[in-house]
Amino acid sequence: MASDEVILETIDLDKSFGAVHAVRTVSWKVYAGSVNALVGDNGAGKSTLIKLISGALQPNGGGFRVRGQETRIGGPAGAFGLGIAAVYQDLALVENRDVVMNMFLGSELTRGPGQIFLDHKGMLRQAHQVLDDIHARIPNVREMVRNLSGGQRQAVAVGRALIRGGEIIIMDEPTAALGVEQTQEVLQLIDTLRSQGKTIILISHNIQQVFEIADFISVMFHGELLGTRPREKATEAEVVAMIMGKRSP
Amino acid sequence: MLGRLTQGELKIAGRRREQLLFLMDNGIYVVTVLLFIVFVFLAPYFFTPRNLVNILISASLAGIVTAGYTVAILAGQIDTSTQGVLAVATVTTALLFEELGFSLPMTVIFALLAGIAAGLFNGVIVVNGKIVAFVATLATQGVMLAIALFLSGGQTITIAREGLQEAVFIRVFGIPSSVWIMFFCYIVGYVLLTQTKLGAHIYATGADYRASLLSGVPVDRVIRIALVISALTAALTAVLVTARAKQSAMFGLAIAGSVDFVTALTAVLLGGFSLFGGVGRIERNLVAVLFLTILGNGLQLMNVPTGIILIVRGFALVLAVILSVLRARMT
Ligand SMILES: Nc1ncnc2c1ncn2[C@@H]1O[C@H](COP(=O)(O)OP(=O)(O)OP(=O)(O)O)[C@@H](O)[C@H]1O
Ligand SMILES: [Mg+2]
Repeated sequence: MASDEVILETIDLDKSFGAVHAVRTVSWKVYAGSVNALVGDNGAGKSTLIKLISGALQPNGGGFRVRGQETRIGGPAGAFGLGIAAVYQDLALVENRDVVMNMFLGSELTRGPGQIFLDHKGMLRQAHQVLDDIHARIPNVREMVRNLSGGQRQAVAVGRALIRGGEIIIMDEPTAALGVEQTQEVLQLIDTLRSQGKTIILISHNIQQVFEIADFISVMFHGELLGTRPREKATEAEVVAMIMGKRSP
Repeated sequence: MLGRLTQGELKIAGRRREQLLFLMDNGIYVVTVLLFIVFVFLAPYFFTPRNLVNILISASLAGIVTAGYTVAILAGQIDTSTQGVLAVATVTTALLFEELGFSLPMTVIFALLAGIAAGLFNGVIVVNGKIVAFVATLATQGVMLAIALFLSGGQTITIAREGLQEAVFIRVFGIPSSVWIMFFCYIVGYVLLTQTKLGAHIYATGADYRASLLSGVPVDRVIRIALVISALTAALTAVLVTARAKQSAMFGLAIAGSVDFVTALTAVLLGGFSLFGGVGRIERNLVAVLFLTILGNGLQLMNVPTGIILIVRGFALVLAVILSVLRARMT
């Protein structure tokens, strides 16, 4: 489903933390219905860039264009409104709450006067449906998240993003802490999402994995975006060189 | 140690852990029933209608304040200002009713408003000042005690005017209204925490502030509301305590028996709550309050000296803290 339709664009995006210039005038295009990989060495600014996109951080300069419209992303809620949902590096799941409550955290289904009451049944039904759609293997959705495996957690976090109406799903090193089997599960999940027309932004340190799944590969170095390559036109050697700071022609 | 277990073994450990947690969480039911049975045999007059009603009255006062306290704890806020709110609200009640001649409903409304104001004050310091509730509310409690002292001129205000005690302790089906009010508070608390969006947000905020924030939960508003609920129930308790004692009970919290921060804390911990928030069920708390009340009442009837009773209660808190820490290590 990879396309060259740009769904999201950052325009000269800039972010500093005191003296640390984490993101330097980055103009990045994210392609609709594709897996957009973002690679780079530790501290290159990848997480910072996606936090700007998901509204978790505010830029010092620059802006966004989403579906052709210039816009600002005021905060996580603003990002959800634009269909952007992040799955953070630490997933931002609440360990001591169950799967359903985690999937609906911050966007609970409600009913009754003033919409103050939880629609437990509706949430249960929709949670099952979303988890089925992404082929997640979670036997009991009333299980506390603290008892889930890494792959299951990833599925819960992605499920939450989908429930939010996420069209652009950001995943920050989703397989970093996972074993072989669970990594495969997550890659499958990403593939499923793409086949359903979702746009995925994927941060990964695993070049092989990136070449396996991504449609576009973008490289950051010291806060700068060095370039974006369609996967079929890139070689691993070239990407590795870029990660180490070699600007390509 | 866990690192040395293989994954399969970890799963078993996980199940055992869940079983142990279940025991720790629900043991309070069993222990309370056992304690009750023991006193039926050992403590004279314990199992008489009159004494059972007495237990319920005492439990109601501690229970109401604990209900709100629980909500704050669940939101991850250890509210130590309970004594301060009680003091402000008891003085407000006595002043308005006795000295300014307010009607009963107006007195109650203003006492509760004083509680809400105190809770909002706590919220400002905790949320806007970004100060941990435990410390912030210790400080605000000092301010509240000073205000109460100023308002009352340092005197206990005795209530000679009729109508307060009578109205507040009307019996319905033979049971004083304070007991009904307590049950009402717990039912509202139960529905709030398990059936409403706000309740879900209270749990989530207490369990993981950052994750909740990133998920779009209005965490600061949730904390403010939790602190107001805590102060509001403290104020409600103050009205009842004042009515029961027929005087402002500022320095005489002993009059109220077990209404204090320590009891609330003990009950909360015995009820299987985490001091760090996000874990616990309010109904267990009610049982924990009953447990503590029965313990005090039974020992008293057995003519155990007050000093010893206080020591036993002290140990109950120590035990509760140990249980809570164990629980925290396990999750
Ligand atoms: N909240 C913050 N405060 C101060 N400095 C920060 C903050 N977040 C990130 N930085 C700094 O900004 C730079 C970029 O960090 P970032 O987390 O975006 O890198 P990254 O590419 O995601 O690295 P990694 O691969 O290790 O996750 C680093 O130098 C980091 O120390
Ligand atoms: Mg990172």
